[in-house]
Amino acid sequence: MVIVKRKELSLAEKLYLPEVLRGLSVTFRKMFEPKVTRQYPEEPLPKTEVTRGQPRLVVNEDDAIACVSCGLCEAACPAYAITIDGGETDRAIEREPKRFDIDMLRCILCGFCEEACPKDAIYMSDELELADYSREALIYDIEKLKRPKAALQKRIDYVNRINKRWQTPSST
Amino acid sequence: MVKITVNGRVVDADPTKPLIKACHDNDVDVPMYCYHPGLSPVGSCRICQVEVKQGEAPGRVVVACRTQPAEGMVVDTESPKAHATRRECLEFLLKNHPLDCPICDKAGECDLQDFTYEEGQAQGRSHEPRRPLEKRKSLGEVIVLDEERCILCSRCVRFFEEVPKKAQLTVSDLGSRSVISTFMDRPLSGNYQGNIADLCPVGALTLKKFRFQARVWNLVKMASTCVECSRGCSIQVETLRGSDVKRFRPRPNEQVNGWWMCDHGRFAFDHANAAGRLEGARMLEGTQLVQTPIEEALCAVRDALMGSKGGLVVLSPFCTVEEGRALRELAQRHQAEIAYVSPPPSALKDELLHTGDPCPNRRGLEELGIRGEAGETLTARLAAAKVGLIAGERVVELLGPERVRELPGTLALFAFECHPVASRALRAEVGIANHVERTGTVVNVDGIRGPLAAAKPAPRGVRALERHLQDLARLSPRRETAVR
Repeated sequence: MVIVKRKELSLAEKLYLPEVLRGLSVTFRKMFEPKVTRQYPEEPLPKTEVTRGQPRLVVNEDDAIACVSCGLCEAACPAYAITIDGGETDRAIEREPKRFDIDMLRCILCGFCEEACPKDAIYMSDELELADYSREALIYDIEKLKRPKAALQKRIDYVNRINKRWQTPSST
Repeated sequence: MVKITVNGRVVDADPTKPLIKACHDNDVDVPMYCYHPGLSPVGSCRICQVEVKQGEAPGRVVVACRTQPAEGMVVDTESPKAHATRRECLEFLLKNHPLDCPICDKAGECDLQDFTYEEGQAQGRSHEPRRPLEKRKSLGEVIVLDEERCILCSRCVRFFEEVPKKAQLTVSDLGSRSVISTFMDRPLSGNYQGNIADLCPVGALTLKKFRFQARVWNLVKMASTCVECSRGCSIQVETLRGSDVKRFRPRPNEQVNGWWMCDHGRFAFDHANAAGRLEGARMLEGTQLVQTPIEEALCAVRDALMGSKGGLVVLSPFCTVEEGRALRELAQRHQAEIAYVSPPPSALKDELLHTGDPCPNRRGLEELGIRGEAGETLTARLAAAKVGLIAGERVVELLGPERVRELPGTLALFAFECHPVASRALRAEVGIANHVERTGTVVNVDGIRGPLAAAKPAPRGVRALERHLQDLARLSPRRETAVR
């Protein structure tokens, strides 16, 4: 059996008041310092060109989708989130997606699709929010994925800059 | 047979066949575009060049498809000299080949793509623009030609000259302006056009029906047999995401179809993909057909067959040997008569492959002792019978839907069909799997057995006929003779 001998408290300690005041002093000091917390839904997260959000499809200036449904992103996707069905179009490119679904619940935002794309048609946007009332609503179809090129330009420029770093002199 | 050395290995080679065949037979990979084992060699693409030494002379680079093996030949397919020559040829072939693999249907099964990848030539040295040609040239009902992609191997030209023996394509114009075209720009005709899309080593000739339908690496391929005529061509069933059959393609089989198949069989997948399937089982209650458990419907079939002497079992000629045998046993067990529907020959008969007989397993059923009768005779016999059982894919279609509808109410008709049966006599119907959803064997006109493969799952609640018949046998009391 162990007998714990407690410390004898002084009067100031017995009153608790000095300690309460000390604690409150911290509270009052912090009230006047700059805030570090963020009011998240009202105040959006900071986004930079490096932000790798959800993948989005590029729509060129002529209102035509850049995707030709080659299926390389589908093949590269490690989470099997992408499903594509191709079809014929009258445009010179001949082929365009008739169905392009990304299951956002499956998507792990890895960016392999962006890397695989030979037509610069899919980019990781800076959109990160993902919430809905059903799972079905989070399988995004082609209309939900389309973005004008201008909206993705920041990321496109970033990817192009990074890609240049890896290019050998002969391949330019 | 002569003895030659291929990459340091002594092998037997047939001197009447080109050297490339000896290489391929011995698992030595030699690239090829213009050579095809089913066509005569021309040596126009020059990609199959290998180094050959004979006697004391220094090694020479020759095209393997136009060289005949000779005794003592020493072949090296991987020598630096051979590689360098092949790479140069490849560079010329790629000179005008557009970089449109992302939209090309051949990507993934393209010989040019594979070999370019193998050789690792990532960058071209050419500065001139590629020649612009027509990208979407229709060659009739089946084929669309992309002139830019064509490498002028002339396989398609030789195919029409040598296999259906009716030349329809030619290389027109000269030099760098050469293109494949039909005579006088007439559309292609005949029942064998689809083969040139398989033959084409690049994506120049593609099928209109398969155009942009699927990426080939997403297709699940199963070896099966065509059921459109009694030739029973060996085919490959290719399905996308376990649901739709996207194409049938011939599988090389020298005994039956060589490398080819007819367009009639090639495009017969609409039937395999047809919607409105009969799922589970339905039984007549009052005047309405209602969904019932399969077991109950099978019991009804058993009870009806047991209660009557002299029922009639009618098979579809699409039934496999296994199904035929099970149905014959069922008929014997209940002293019922058995016959299969034998539709009249079609007008598609030709000298090459199509036999004109639409029954894929006629020989297999005949070997089981089941006789074929015309649809009219069989419906007449059914109308006179008390109990009738019709079983198999498309059996109603072959009996005549009108005649089946008008069968009298005195007959108790039971059906195993893929699609709902409309008949006044119908008592119960059970859904069965079609020819791309079940396994089995069919025997072709020459007695060669071909397998059916389950390339895709059957719809929910649908099982193969064989499974239903097994259950039916389990439910039926055994014959007394079998008990001993």
